[in-house]
Amino acid sequence: MRRLVLFLSLIVVLLVGVAVFDWWIDPFGDIYKPAALTAALNEHPNCLVSEELVGARYFSFKLDLFHRRPTTRFVVGSSRVLRIAAHPGERTFTNLGFPGTAPETILSLFRALPAKPVQTVYLGVEPFWFTPKFTVPVYRPSRTQLAQYLLSRATFQFAVRFARQAHYIFFHRWTRELVGSKCVIGRQSPGIAWNTDGSRTYDYELDPTIPTPRPQYNVAGFEAGAYGNWTSFEGGRLAVLQQALEVAKQRGWHVVGFSPPEPGPLLRWLETDAQVSVRWREFLRRVPALFRAAGDRWVNVWDGQQLGCPASSFPDGFHAGAACSRLVRARLDAAAGPQ
Amino acid sequence: MLFNSFPFLYFFLPAVAVGYYVVPRHRLRLLLIVGASYYFYAYADWWFPALMAGSTALSYTGGRLLEHPRFAERRRLVLGLGITGVLMLLGYYKYTAFVGGYALSFVHVITQRSFPGLHSFVTSIALPIGISFYTFEGISYMVDVYRGTLRAERDPLRYAFFISFFPHLIAGPIVRYGILQPQLLGKQRFDPDRVRSGLLLFTLGLAKKVLLADALAGWVDHYLATPGSIGLLNAWSSALGFGFQIYFDFSAYSDMALGLARMFGIELPWNFDRPYRSASPTEFWRRWHVTLSTWLRDYLYIPLGGNRKGERRRDVNLFVTMGLGGLWHGASLNFVAWGLYHGGLLAGTHHGSRRGWRMPRVLGVAVTFVLVVLGWVLFRMRSAADIGHLYAGMLGLHGIGGAPGHLIAYVLVSAAIVWGLPEEWRWPVAEWGPVRVAALAVLFVVAAASVYTSHPFIYFRF
Repeated sequence: MRRLVLFLSLIVVLLVGVAVFDWWIDPFGDIYKPAALTAALNEHPNCLVSEELVGARYFSFKLDLFHRRPTTRFVVGSSRVLRIAAHPGERTFTNLGFPGTAPETILSLFRALPAKPVQTVYLGVEPFWFTPKFTVPVYRPSRTQLAQYLLSRATFQFAVRFARQAHYIFFHRWTRELVGSKCVIGRQSPGIAWNTDGSRTYDYELDPTIPTPRPQYNVAGFEAGAYGNWTSFEGGRLAVLQQALEVAKQRGWHVVGFSPPEPGPLLRWLETDAQVSVRWREFLRRVPALFRAAGDRWVNVWDGQQLGCPASSFPDGFHAGAACSRLVRARLDAAAGPQ
Repeated sequence: MLFNSFPFLYFFLPAVAVGYYVVPRHRLRLLLIVGASYYFYAYADWWFPALMAGSTALSYTGGRLLEHPRFAERRRLVLGLGITGVLMLLGYYKYTAFVGGYALSFVHVITQRSFPGLHSFVTSIALPIGISFYTFEGISYMVDVYRGTLRAERDPLRYAFFISFFPHLIAGPIVRYGILQPQLLGKQRFDPDRVRSGLLLFTLGLAKKVLLADALAGWVDHYLATPGSIGLLNAWSSALGFGFQIYFDFSAYSDMALGLARMFGIELPWNFDRPYRSASPTEFWRRWHVTLSTWLRDYLYIPLGGNRKGERRRDVNLFVTMGLGGLWHGASLNFVAWGLYHGGLLAGTHHGSRRGWRMPRVLGVAVTFVLVVLGWVLFRMRSAADIGHLYAGMLGLHGIGGAPGHLIAYVLVSAAIVWGLPEEWRWPVAEWGPVRVAALAVLFVVAAASVYTSHPFIYFRF
C-alpha cells in the first residue's frame, strides 16, 4: 500500500509542481495576467503591455480594459481596426478589437459587457469573415485546454528555457523596459505592444532601430491572402452578426458599422477578379443592408484611396497604419455624432 | 479515446478506477465497467456503441442458441448464422470500400461507365475502430461453445463486459471468453499491490509509446514520405526504424491494456515477447501478436486441416491463413501481400527444417529480423510504386545517400532495448522497491506531459 501511495502522491506532487511552474512562467502567454495591465496603468504616462504577456488571451484582456476605463465608446473588429486609438486625453474610448475577431466573438463580447452605460459602438466588419476558409480561433480557452497547456511537455520545456535566460522570472513575471522612448511592461523581447486604450503599436513604431516594412502588392499575394478562393458567401455568419446587432439594440447602444479600408491595389483586385468580385459586391450589398435593417448606421470607408489613405499607409499591405486609422476614426465619429 | 490522451489519463481512468473500488456490489461494478467502456467507445464516434451492442447481441444469442436443446440438431447451422452475422458487420464496415472499389474499377474498365454516386457511397463508409478485434472475440466465443470447450454465458452483463472491457476493446489483446469468464464470477477485492503493479506496467507502456514509438514515427514518417528520393542508408534506417516503431507502438498498447486490466483485477493474455529475438519466422509468430496468431491457428488454420493433410495442403493452409490474417489488418492489397509473404516464410521454414537446414541461433535471429523488416515494407507503404521505391532504395539503386543521424541513434537505442531487456510484462514490477517506483512516477509525468504531440496507435486502424 505504501508504494502505491508513494507512486500516486509523487505523480500528483510532480504534476502540481509542473503546473505551478508553467503557470508562473507561462511561456506562450496563455494565462491572462491582469496585474500586468495594472502595472502599465500605474505608470504616468501609462506604459504599454507587451504582446508576450497577453498571448492569445485577447478577449480577457479587452474585457478587463473595458472595465478599467470609463468607456462609453468602443470599436470592435479584427486586427485591421487595432490602430484606431483614443484621441489624446480621451478616457472614454476603448479599442476592443483583437486578432481573430469574428461575428461569434463580437456576439460573446457584447453579451459579456454590461448593458449600462449606453455605448456607441464602431463595428468593423471584415469581408473575409464570409469566405469559406475563415475559421474562428479559440478566444476563450476552456479549463481543460488550460490544464492541458499547463501540463504539456512543450510548455514546460519552453518555461525552463525561458527561466534559464531570464532569472528575474523567479521573482517577477515581467519587467518594465524602455523600448525607444516608450515604457513597455514586457518580458524578453517586447515587440508588438498594446496601449492602455486597447489600440496596438507595432515594433517598428516603438523601436526606431526596426525599419518600417514596405508593402508588397501582387496578385499571387492576394490570391494566397484572406480573400483567396472566395467561392461562396457564408451567410450563416451574417446571421450571427445580426444577433450581435440585436443584443446591441436591446441595450440601446448606437452602432456604426464599417468595413476597414482596403489598400488601392487590393481593392482593384477585389473589384476585377472574376470569381472574387462577385462575392465582394455581394458583401457590399448585404452587410450595409443588414445594419440599415437593424436601424443602425453604416459608413463607407472601405476604399482606402478615396478615404485619403494611399497604398503606402498600409505598412504590411493589409492593415491600415496610424494616420489612416485616424481618418477612419474621424469618419466614424462624424457618423455617430457627439455623445 | 486514446490511452495516450489527456481526457483518458486525467479524467476517465481515475474516475473509473475509483468508482470501481468504491462501488460495493459486484454486479454494479460490472455495470460500471460496461457503461464506462461504452462511453470510452462513443468518444470515437457516437454511433460506434450501437454497432458493438449489435455484434455483442449476435454472438451472445448465438452462444445461447448453440446450447439450447431445440437447436441440438442444427448447431452447425446456428454457428454458421452467428459467425455470418458478426462477419457481415465486419465485412460491411471494413471491406465494402475495398471490394466495391475494385468491382467498380473492373466495371469501368469493361463498360467504360463510372458510377460516381455508388463510388462515393462505398468510399464514405467509416471503419469503426476495434471492430476487427471484438468480431474475432465473438467468433471465438461461439466456436468454443460449439466445440463444447466453453459453456455459453447466461449473464448478458458478464458477456457485455467480455466484449466491451475498455483496456482490450480497441486494439486487443484478442481475449477468449474462457480466460475472462472465471475472473468475472466473483468480486475483485482492492489489492494495492496488484493495482500498483498494473499502474507500473501501464506507465512502462505509456512511456514506450510516447517516448520511443512516437519519436521513431517522427523520423520514419519524414523519410518515407518521399521513398523515391532516399538512398541506401536512409532506406534501411527507415525500414528498421519502422520495424521498431510498429513493435514499440503495438506492444506498448498491449502493456497498457494488461496494466489497466490488472488495476481492475483482471489478467489479460500477453501479446508480445520480444519477437525480434526469434530465430525463425515460426518462432516470430509465437512471439508477435500472439493472441491473433493463436486465434488464426485455432479457428482457421487447424479447421482448414493444418498440417494433417500433407505438405502441399499445409502450405496452402498457411498461405490462406496468413493471407486472411493480412486482410484482417486492413482492406488493402498491400496487407494481403504482407500476409502472403509471411505465409511463404512459414512454408519455407517448414520445408527448410524438413531438409535439416540449421543455422546458429544468432544468425537465425539476424536473418529472421531482416526478413521481417523486408515484410514491413509491404505493410507500411501504401502503393506498389512506393513499395518498389523503398525496396530499390534498400538495394542501393538510389545511391548511398546521407546518414540520418537522429534516426540511426533511435534505431540503436531500440535495438539495445529489444535485444538487451526482456518484454516489459515480464518485468517483476510488483516486487520493485520505493526507488524504482518513484522513478516510474517521474517517467509517468514525463510521458503524460508528452501525450499532446502523440500519434494514434498504428493498430487503431485495424
